[in-house]
Amino acid sequence: MSAAETRDLELRDVRRSFGATQALRGVSLAVRQGEVYGLVGPDGAGKTTAMRILSGLLRPHEGSATVLGVDPAHPRGEARERLGLVPQRNTLYGDLSVDENLHFFASLFGLSRPDFEARRERLLHITRLGRFTERRADALSGGMYKKLALACALLHRPRVLLLDEPTNGVDPVSRRELWELLYGLVHEGMTLLVSTPYMDEAARCHRVGLLYEGQLIAEGEPRALARAHGVSPSDFESVFLAIIARRDGRAA
Amino acid sequence: MVASTFGRSGGRILAIAGKEVLHIRRDPRTLYLALAMPVVMLVLFGFGISFDVDHLELAVVDQDGTWASRELVRQFTASKEFVVSTESPSPEQALRDARRGHVVAVLVLPKGFARAVSSGGAQVQLLVDGADGNTATQVLAKAQALIQVASPRLAGEGAPLPAPPVEVRIRTLFNPGGRSALFVVPGLAAYLLAIVAVLMTALTVAREWERGSMEQLFATPVGRMEIVVGKLLPYLCIGLAQVLLVLTAGAWVFSVPIRGSLPVLGLGALLFLIGMLGQGLLISVVTRNQVVATQVATLTSMLPSMLLSGFIFPISNLPAPLRLLSTLIPARYFVSVLRGVLLRGNGLEVLWPQLGALALFALLILAAAMARFQRRLD
Ligand SMILES: Nc1ncnc2c1ncn2[C@@H]1O[C@H](COP(=O)(O)OP(=O)(O)OP(=O)(O)O)[C@@H](O)[C@H]1O
Ligand SMILES: [Mg+2]
Repeated sequence: MSAAETRDLELRDVRRSFGATQALRGVSLAVRQGEVYGLVGPDGAGKTTAMRILSGLLRPHEGSATVLGVDPAHPRGEARERLGLVPQRNTLYGDLSVDENLHFFASLFGLSRPDFEARRERLLHITRLGRFTERRADALSGGMYKKLALACALLHRPRVLLLDEPTNGVDPVSRRELWELLYGLVHEGMTLLVSTPYMDEAARCHRVGLLYEGQLIAEGEPRALARAHGVSPSDFESVFLAIIARRDGRAA
Repeated sequence: MVASTFGRSGGRILAIAGKEVLHIRRDPRTLYLALAMPVVMLVLFGFGISFDVDHLELAVVDQDGTWASRELVRQFTASKEFVVSTESPSPEQALRDARRGHVVAVLVLPKGFARAVSSGGAQVQLLVDGADGNTATQVLAKAQALIQVASPRLAGEGAPLPAPPVEVRIRTLFNPGGRSALFVVPGLAAYLLAIVAVLMTALTVAREWERGSMEQLFATPVGRMEIVVGKLLPYLCIGLAQVLLVLTAGAWVFSVPIRGSLPVLGLGALLFLIGMLGQGLLISVVTRNQVVATQVATLTSMLPSMLLSGFIFPISNLPAPLRLLSTLIPARYFVSVLRGVLLRGNGLEVLWPQLGALALFALLILAAAMARFQRRLD
């Protein structure tokens, strides 16, 4: 298999429901190595559920998930050693400082002291959090908080990174910064799965999947999708609306 | 390989425990509460009982009518712990009066009391209302202490006492409350440990669920066992510090002895604590919510360890269904271990069934908690 065909993340016909709510209704997708895949969809589309299944936090009711060729929910946790997750909610420890959060997660990943020092230095540099190491996580701005969450997820040099709405509640300037940071990581060979409700962000991805009511209703390169629906790539929002309109029209 | 796996696991446990210590240091109110509570409770329960029973009403039957008999009565009232509510000519009359009023005891000074005092063999009769066992114990203790003080003075008959009489502060001097502290301290230790251990763990684990940090933890290689051990370790230490504090305070303030085996006591405390931590863990895993966890933890730890452990009500006095229920309460066995070791001087040979029960409870509740505590969010 060539590098381009290596599937780092894969969902195969995954179904998952919560009581009567069908969060995922048969979703299949594959993210290749070094790719930035955007999972785009409105609130409640099932983005977080897909992320959680890929990070082993939820089991699919039907279908299967693989991360770097293994089951992410396997108790041995091979996948977890090479996967980073930035959840949608603020899940760091708000009463701990930036440094304490970093140190804690580094210990969980078993980083050696010198390795941690080096990683800390580098991550503080690229996230520009160096001046705030003593600040409590709770006291950080939305953008800085997300960067800290990102830094914590990157400590162990994961091969794949799952980001669940990383730019939610982040101002436009910080959003651009965050995306530049992410591109830098992809440059180093990392695979990214990013979920977002913002259509303009979809255009930044190599490939996007449109998730709607638990189903992947379209997938492809942003430009190609835009062309196919006769809208300009800069107006990606219309692409999504056009696809949904066509789908709902067919269903009716 | 095995060694390095073990080392990594140990490192993760220490990381979790260290983080917990940071949480506690950032918000030390819970810690202060945990450590201040024993002191406050000891004061409340240890001294509280004797505060409540001032001005006990006494019926006096003075059949002697001498200086010595009057002096003894005066000693009783001088302390303000007793007041003479009636004086009757005969014990029968006094008892009839007693039934109508608030008289808790009848003091009978028989004829010939003064003569017996000088020849050294005087006796008085004290009829105590046994309906309220606590007060009866107090009355007996106080009366004994008073008579002990008065005896030398009565023996030195004829020597006029300075007037006004010296007020004798028997309460603090002889600490009649200390007698009940012997029974209060073990029960109190179990009660405090139960509350603090269950509540603190229930809260701290529920907080991880509620704030979503459990999600972040599960996405790292940390194992369930490592999370549990790491989170419980600091509270185990706090709990053991509490045991030490209560026992030291008990020994120091109330002269509670330690007559039996300290290792047995330590083992009992450890098993009891692990059981309580397990209970807190189970509650938090099931509720995943701090408010609900607090309520359930308070209800399931405070009430049984207060009411069904033998702390307040002797087990033998409980109605049969409650007595049966109390066999499921670990606090009951821990109180037995504490009383056995402290007061009766028991060791392993007597207390092994209690230790066994504590171990069984700890094992079962931890197994139940771990079965519910999956590395998943559903
Ligand atoms: N733990 C849960 N219990 C019950 N229902 C759930 C749970 N998690 C998700 N759901 C439901 O499943 C559906 C998909 O939720 P999900 O969180 O995956 O959507 P999302 O695309 O991430 O939405 P958002 O943009 O709002 O984060 C929703 O209807 C949601 O209410
Ligand atoms: Mg979501």
